Amino acid sequence: MASAPKVWAFQQEETAETGNVTLKPVPDNKEGIFAQREKIGYALRLHNNTGEVQKGTIAYSITTDDGKKVEDDSSKFSLKSYGSKSLILKIKPKPVGFYHINFRVNLPDYDDTVRNVFGVDPQKITSQLHKPADFDAFWTRTREDLEKVVPQYRVLERKDLSTDEKRVYSVEMHSYGDIVIRGWLVVPTDGKRFPVHYRVPGYVVGLKPNMDNDDFITFDLNVRGNGNSTDVMEIGTDNYCLFNIENKDKYIYRGVYMDCLRGVDFLMSHASLGIDINKIFVEGGSQGGALALITAALDKRVKVLTLQVPLYADIHNDLLVSSSYQTQVFPFKTFRKYQEKHPAFTWDKFFATWDYYDPQNFAPMVQCPVLMGIGLLDQFCPPRCSMALFNHIGSKNKEFVCVPNSTHEVNFDYFMFQNVWLREKFRIP
Amino acid sequence: MQKTRLFIIFLALIVLATPVKTFAGFPIGKYRDIVVPSFNYYRQTDRFDGNDKVIKGPPGTSFTSYSSTLFIGYGITRRLDLIMNVPFLYQVNNLGQNGKIVDQGPGDFVGGLSYNLVNWGYTKFLSVQASAIVPLYSKINGENTALGLGDYGTEVKLMFCGSLPKLIADKGYFNTELTYRRYFDTQGPDQVSFMATVGYPVTKHNQVSVDLTFYRSYSSNKAFDPNIFTARDYAFFKPQLNVGHQFSRRASLFIGGYYVPFGLNTGVGYGGSVLFVFKL
Repeated sequence: MASAPKVWAFQQEETAETGNVTLKPVPDNKEGIFAQREKIGYALRLHNNTGEVQKGTIAYSITTDDGKKVEDDSSKFSLKSYGSKSLILKIKPKPVGFYHINFRVNLPDYDDTVRNVFGVDPQKITSQLHKPADFDAFWTRTREDLEKVVPQYRVLERKDLSTDEKRVYSVEMHSYGDIVIRGWLVVPTDGKRFPVHYRVPGYVVGLKPNMDNDDFITFDLNVRGNGNSTDVMEIGTDNYCLFNIENKDKYIYRGVYMDCLRGVDFLMSHASLGIDINKIFVEGGSQGGALALITAALDKRVKVLTLQVPLYADIHNDLLVSSSYQTQVFPFKTFRKYQEKHPAFTWDKFFATWDYYDPQNFAPMVQCPVLMGIGLLDQFCPPRCSMALFNHIGSKNKEFVCVPNSTHEVNFDYFMFQNVWLREKFRIP
Repeated sequence: MQKTRLFIIFLALIVLATPVKTFAGFPIGKYRDIVVPSFNYYRQTDRFDGNDKVIKGPPGTSFTSYSSTLFIGYGITRRLDLIMNVPFLYQVNNLGQNGKIVDQGPGDFVGGLSYNLVNWGYTKFLSVQASAIVPLYSKINGENTALGLGDYGTEVKLMFCGSLPKLIADKGYFNTELTYRRYFDTQGPDQVSFMATVGYPVTKHNQVSVDLTFYRSYSSNKAFDPNIFTARDYAFFKPQLNVGHQFSRRASLFIGGYYVPFGLNTGVGYGGSVLFVFKL
């Protein structure tokens, strides 16, 4: 059913904090998402952990997610021994976007800073698509090249890994460039036909057989250079995203994206193993989130997509946001290092390749139901970029989840919700 | 090079994989249906007086009820469910030497909406349900029949259910229901009940569960009536033991038996039920 994007939010569990004075900022909207015309509100809960009176200053500063100063203010406070106080902060409405808000407690002999991020109508975030004119032709040609590769599927039952309840298969197939890739298929023994949970990997993450699902056949694909596919091609984490980056035709992700489609080919051709080929859902987190989205975009045999903290999304703005970081993080830390060593490799050249691979450019092609989860404190995949990607998704049947205190991950509640959501989409009891 | 912080997918599939006999507090799920046909047997020969004292019934007398009900639930949204329950009764009131009276026909239809107020990590649910009670039979000469009170009514139910706390067990479920029911008649009755269920899977496809029901019906009409469907002022405590078997995700069977050890102005009843649960 077509519907407007919905947002769900799950509060991350708070961790215990220590210090002379602890500060816990709690947004009025627990998900940390506000409407454009709404005041941004926080309750600032201060607690004195000492037996002495504490006098100091509490301050906040707001910047845009790319580091532009928006506003700041401060106020003095006093706390009795072991006393608590709650201060109400109201900030005037802000334009659409994500904002960093840092709260600082300054005492004569103690300082503390608590980072927070809030969003304003993120479903209205827009971004420019930098889609090359021959983007579609490039990928059509790439897919044709993939189809020319005979898959030569090999399916080997691994009795040493199987249990009474799950049958484990090691699977192997030839993919783009005639590279051999492998994966793990786990089939529950308690039934004849199951929907498929097809998982694609994070950045150089070796996926193992997924034994935790009784209601789905699980298929975990290790794309080239990952997990049990590394004996054919091993690049390693330091260079994986740089492999042939200066040549869009040979860039590593051209084959990686095709590996994901080959995985769908495998599923479609093995219905005899109990696979319900009409109920394939693809999932991934981080790089896997990008791969899952691209798989759903390029292959309509995928019926449902779930992704978390999608890496590389809206890569132009990712560069912009990351340039404001005091300490660089992946992926632009890696790209910048490469650039330092190869001064001729300008950002223009970087984008000359990456505009063919930015997940955002694939998003309009996604037409199936989508669920996306993001962490508001994520620096690897800035929320702005994830939401820009989300907003470009062609499907009207899409929802997103914000986890406010989470970095490059979502939380337990997200996966519980995803489980409910999947059952709804596939009508699974 | 800084190591990429890898994202670990944590597949939290700790859902209530065990089928449950009662659905009140568990949201059915958007666009999904539950159909539960059940068959129930109830019999009594003796009764409790107003002081919980057992009064032996006259020789040859008894009250026996055979009923079948069809429960249908439909998930309108993730939180809102439509529920309906239609009973069909066949009752034999054996009067001993005075013969017996047999009544049969549809009983009280119960239909309404259940709304999930809040959930805790999709493992515990607090829900409220409001229903209307509509008799599917007519009063005879203004008098109620043996099929029910013959009055319209309403019911409000507060339900809390979910997975058993990890401190108690690593699997299993619980369901609690606090219900208030009111019939629109000068004699009422007003009824309050509390039911608690604990279910535990003993194998992957088999489970045992226990229901404890406390029931109190208040009315100005204190007359004893062996027929639980037409009695007005009474109370009882009813434990029930059930075993369940799951044939598939979509089909389960429950068989249960019960006895009424304590009561006020009601029968010393016992009986059993067979339920089929179909999730569509």
